[in-house]
Amino acid sequence: MNRLEKAAAGAVALMLIAAAAIFFYAPTDYLQGPVQRIFYLHVSSAIAAFGCFAVVLAGGIVYLRNESPRADRYARAGALVGVVFTTVTLVMGMLWARNVWGAFWVWDARLTSTLVLLIIYAGYLLVRRLSEAGRQTARIAAVVGIFGFIDVPVVYFSVDWWATHHPGPVITSDALPPQMLATFLFTMLCTLVLAAVMVVIRYRIEMLMDMKQLIASGAPLTVAIPRRDPEPAQ
Amino acid sequence: MNPFRAAIAVARKDLLSEWRTREMVPALAQFVVLALLIGNFGFQIDSRSAPSIAPGILWLALVFAGLIAFGRTFAAEREQSSLEAMLMTPASPVAIFAGKALAASALLILCEVVLLPALSLFFGTPFSAELVIAVLLATIGMASLGCLFAAVVARVRARELLLPLLVLPLWIPFIVAGGQAVQSAMGLPGSYDQAIGLLVDFDILFVVLTSLAARFVLDE
Repeated sequence: MNRLEKAAAGAVALMLIAAAAIFFYAPTDYLQGPVQRIFYLHVSSAIAAFGCFAVVLAGGIVYLRNESPRADRYARAGALVGVVFTTVTLVMGMLWARNVWGAFWVWDARLTSTLVLLIIYAGYLLVRRLSEAGRQTARIAAVVGIFGFIDVPVVYFSVDWWATHHPGPVITSDALPPQMLATFLFTMLCTLVLAAVMVVIRYRIEMLMDMKQLIASGAPLTVAIPRRDPEPAQ
Repeated sequence: MNPFRAAIAVARKDLLSEWRTREMVPALAQFVVLALLIGNFGFQIDSRSAPSIAPGILWLALVFAGLIAFGRTFAAEREQSSLEAMLMTPASPVAIFAGKALAASALLILCEVVLLPALSLFFGTPFSAELVIAVLLATIGMASLGCLFAAVVARVRARELLLPLLVLPLWIPFIVAGGQAVQSAMGLPGSYDQAIGLLVDFDILFVVLTSLAARFVLDE
């Protein structure tokens, strides 16, 4: 097993422990019943998605400043992983809403802004797919990623700015019993670790794809491939 | 070089070439009238339902007319590769961008000159200063974003596909606030002043952000 495989196995193990905590340690909600357990992963993956989009933002800013290919690869990785976590958030939220609100979807400020967030970053990924890889595309994508991030605070503060159906912040308002809070914080930590590992693995994939492209374009390989395990000198 | 004069010169050039060819404005005007026609068949409109349906048709027509207008913003530059020449002049990229945005929004406003009276004529909704102000305020922000992303996709192969994907989600704030303002201007419940305030906020935010970003998009 190499380092990334170990990290991936560790992240999966952490998520399994978090699942055990959600189902066996956290108490059942008095009003909502077992469906409340969706909350732990729903909120955690939303926070993980925000983190991933922050990586896209930071990668975009750094790329526009110094054209670092590493920053661009991190931005690409963050966008993909962020889209995955936003989808998880939306799907889990819809399952919860079906039980608690009686409908999968309502046109509420937080739901709508989260859907827009998903569309923006899905668009970011499409930009990367539809235009030839290179400097121009990376700059375009950086601008898209920076503008897209405007929606993240909108999603976060939507429950304060507009009258919504969506529950308000329960963590910061001290509304959770300690066992639920502990379960939530642990799940959030595990989800963030999972997201970070996914971003790093995706970064590796993006790097290999960049190299493949470099090889196809006939550039000198000695410069392109950084050796991870240098051969010992004779 | 004075950036304001450069921006005006770029806008003047674009409007002059539009005046000489007269391609965009008639096409856009025809497009919005067709959109109203489709709205009429798509909904069952009578005098009671018109105020609740007309704002939606207005924004749909305006958004798609905007996509057409901004999609063509850099068409001439692309076809004749004249953007590079413009960037080689001492005018700053931000001034060039502002000029292009000005010209594109002038075209969109011309299309609104057709759209808004036609809407009142066909659907019997009130035509008021409030309505015009709301639509004009939304046009400013939509034009700055639309022009920026038109520049962004100008050199990409699948630009017709990408422009709506990138611009529409970012236009949503203007449609949320503008929709609310138009609805209350047409007599539906909702605070007009609050919606106009939001529109002004979004205008300032996006005009500043797009001017900052223009340098990175145009500068090559």
